[in-house]
This record gives sequence, structure tokens and C-alpha cells, in this order.
Amino acid sequence: MRNFNVIALLAFLAVAVALLLLNKGKSRQLQDKVMSVFSPFIHASASADKAMEGTTTVVGDPTALKRDNEKLQIEVQRLRIITKKYDEMMDENNKLRKLVDYKQGSPFKLTAARVVKRSAGTWWNTLIIDKGSLDGLGTDSPVITDVGLIGKTGKLSPRMAEVILLTDELCRVSAYVEGTKERGILFGERGGMDLRPDLRLRYLSRNAVINIGSNVYSSGDGGVFPPGLHLGKVKRFENREISGEAIVEPVVDFESLEHVFVVEMQKAEPATGSEAIQKAEPVQFEKGK
Amino acid sequence: MLFNLIVLALMLMSFAVQEFIPPIMPETTHYARLFLPAVFFFAASVAVPFPWMLILSLVTGVLWDVRYLPMSSDAGQASGAELGMTLADAATMGTADLRFGYSILVFGLLGALMQGVRPLFKKGRLELPVVMVGFSTGAWLLVQYLLMTLLRGSFYFPTAMWLKLVTDMMYAMFFSPLMFLALHVLARVTSYEIKYDGLRYNYDGR
Repeated sequence: MRNFNVIALLAFLAVAVALLLLNKGKSRQLQDKVMSVFSPFIHASASADKAMEGTTTVVGDPTALKRDNEKLQIEVQRLRIITKKYDEMMDENNKLRKLVDYKQGSPFKLTAARVVKRSAGTWWNTLIIDKGSLDGLGTDSPVITDVGLIGKTGKLSPRMAEVILLTDELCRVSAYVEGTKERGILFGERGGMDLRPDLRLRYLSRNAVINIGSNVYSSGDGGVFPPGLHLGKVKRFENREISGEAIVEPVVDFESLEHVFVVEMQKAEPATGSEAIQKAEPVQFEKGK
Repeated sequence: MLFNLIVLALMLMSFAVQEFIPPIMPETTHYARLFLPAVFFFAASVAVPFPWMLILSLVTGVLWDVRYLPMSSDAGQASGAELGMTLADAATMGTADLRFGYSILVFGLLGALMQGVRPLFKKGRLELPVVMVGFSTGAWLLVQYLLMTLLRGSFYFPTAMWLKLVTDMMYAMFFSPLMFLALHVLARVTSYEIKYDGLRYNYDGR
């Protein structure tokens, strides 16, 4: 029996080491497959949560009203994002029309998704959304709302995806402070202890002059997140040993998330100068319509 | 054998049940909750023989990592600007994090520790096994956090982290007697006898 124990121990160690040495691609595949197996349970638990919530709230006209409201909310958020993007593009057009080396800004496709539930992990801040690889989502795609950045996609199943929240240390965003030349990397909190912890914008210049309340936006460096996404507002600035650090309050309320949009970055062909000028015709766009 | 197979099946089921377990008092305990698969594994480690404990730790470790370990970016593993990297490099790289499969070893080690209290469990004394389940849950979570700290390179141990960890331990200790009771009932139903040959030394005269 003792020999059997030793053999079992050796076999256990061999399998454990083999799994530890699996490359990231294969472990991702494994994670995606198991995520699909768990999908029905995740959906069922989310439905159970909803049902529990339903027992404590009074709903006027249950099914149809809720469905309509959900659709309208998605539509409103989508339009807000498009309006915002339009404004930015108009500004960009006005600036760039004069420049011969103008390159067309990358358009992006938005996929609307519903937040299913918050993951039951130990030290990580993640959410599950109801769109997955069959809806065309990929790993490391930015997830946004009309207010700002939420995070990025992680594991994917055919009809479900995990979102690593901006508030998790695992999700880093290259960012800048509005009205300054200060750029740094925005970090979330380690441990997922809070849904809305303060974020830290690191690697700023020491003694940088940053106004409290300044907006922090993604700079687009690295290509993971598009530039100009609102991330938060500066709460205070601290000088560290070799660099400065701004404490940033996230702009999104992560506790009340219901619908989000997954951004699929589409790389546009660079336009030539004359084409660009033709394409940059002013568009008649009125706010509020 | 039947007992061990049923325990393995229950272990698999615990992962499905985990999806339905909400955090208890999330605002005050920082989303602490009962981690059923881990707690069931620690409780079952006391009841099953050593090779089966290893099989259980393998299954628990793999499934836990597969389901709950977030998938980070493939690129670089080190930390950024201090190493002279550009902002673009640092933004695209993933923060170094736990490697898939590490939980197997942690569960195996803690399961081996739990095997030490088998004689008490056999006698129906649950005081020490219950404390050990709480201790193992805490140790598992602390090892996770320490590994993250080691890999990410900065020490950060806020009060919230300790509060969450201790609350998780309490939940584990609170629910473990139910699991021990269920395992006792299952052992009786399947006529399974808990044997302990851990530290016994047999002298055969040679």
C-alpha cells in the first residue's frame, strides 16, 4: 500500500508539473472549453438571482415592459457612444483637413451585451456578460459603457465572456491627464476587495502639476484600448520615490452595471492625403436629435 | 471504492453549486463567500485514502484554475516603466499573474496536511478537523495572495484583505461540520471504513 502511495504521489506530481508547463494558448483553450460547460449553471444562477430580486421589488407590467426597457436602454447607450464618437470625429476632421498626412481614425464596432453576474472568484474583479465567441468577441477586447471604460474581455465561451474589470490590477490602461502632458499607466486594486476602489495612475513625473478633479482618459498607447475613453477623475496626487502617482476615482459605477458594449477594433486602411481630404467632408450633425 | 467515486462526483457537483452561492454581507466583508469546492475538498481529504486525496486535489485544482483564474494578456510578464519599457510596451503587457495549474499543488499540500486528522474524524471528533478546514481555507487564500504579491512585485496588505480572508475562513469553518456529517452518513451507507496508515510504522522482523 505504501508503494502504491509513492507511485500515486509521483504520478500526481508529474501531471501537476505538466499542467503548470502548459503554454498559455493551450491553457486558454482549456479555460474556454470549461467555461462553456459552466455556462448553463452561470445563466441559471443569474436567473435565480434575478428571481430573488423580483420577489423584493414591485414590477408594474412584468415581461413586455422589462424587455422594451432593456432594448431602449441599450439603444440609448449605443446612441450616446455614437454621438460622442461623432463629436470627436468632427473635431478631428476639422483639425486634420488641413494636413496632408492625415490618416483616417480607426472606426470601431460595438457589440451590446448584458451583464449576467459578478464572478465568484477569490481575489479578482471580474464580470460575466451574455455575449461570447459566437457573437464575434475576442479576448482582450475593450468593454465600455456610455460613461467610460469598464475593462477588457478574458475567457470566452460561445455565448458568454468574462470581463476583467478596470478596477482589477490585472487590467492596465495607458492613460493621460486632461490638460497636461502627463501620461502614465492606470492600475486597479489588488485583491478585488471592492467593486469601486480608487485607481492609481503611476509613472507620472515627480512634482507634476495636476489639478484635483481633472479627467483621466485612455491614451491609446499599445493598441489594446482606443484613445479618449473616460477613465476617471483625479482625487489627489502623491510623490513617490522615483515618480509621481495620481489617485483616480473611476467614472463608472461598477455596482449598477446592466448593459455594456464590447469594442472590436477594426484597423482601417490608411487613406492617402487627397482621399482623406475628400472623406473629411463636414457632416451635418445636430446634437440632441 | 463506491464511497470515493461518490465523493468525486460530489466534488464535481460542488463547482456547479458554487455558481449559486452569493457573497454574504458583501459590503462589510468585501465580497467574502463560501468557497464550496475548496471547503468540500478539505473535508473530503480527511475521509478518503491518500491516492484518492491526490486525485481530488488534481480535479479541484484544475477546475478551480480553469473557472476562476482570469486570463491575462499573452505579452510580457515583468513590470513596466522602471525597467525602461515604453508606455506602449507596458500598456500591452499583461500583469504577471498566477500560472494555470498552481492550485493543484496547493490543494495537494493542504490535503496531505488534512490527512493527519483522519484518526479524529474516524472517531467522530470534529473539533480539530473543523479548525483545520478553516486553517486550510485561509492558507489556500493567503498563498494565492502572496503569490500574486510576489509576482507583481509590490507589498500591499490592506485591512480589507485580512477581513475578507478571515471571513472566508469563518464561513468555511461554519459549513464544514455539515460536510463532515454528510461524509459520515455516506460512509455508513456505502459501508466504507476509514483507515489510517499515515504515520504507522510496521516492523516485519528483518
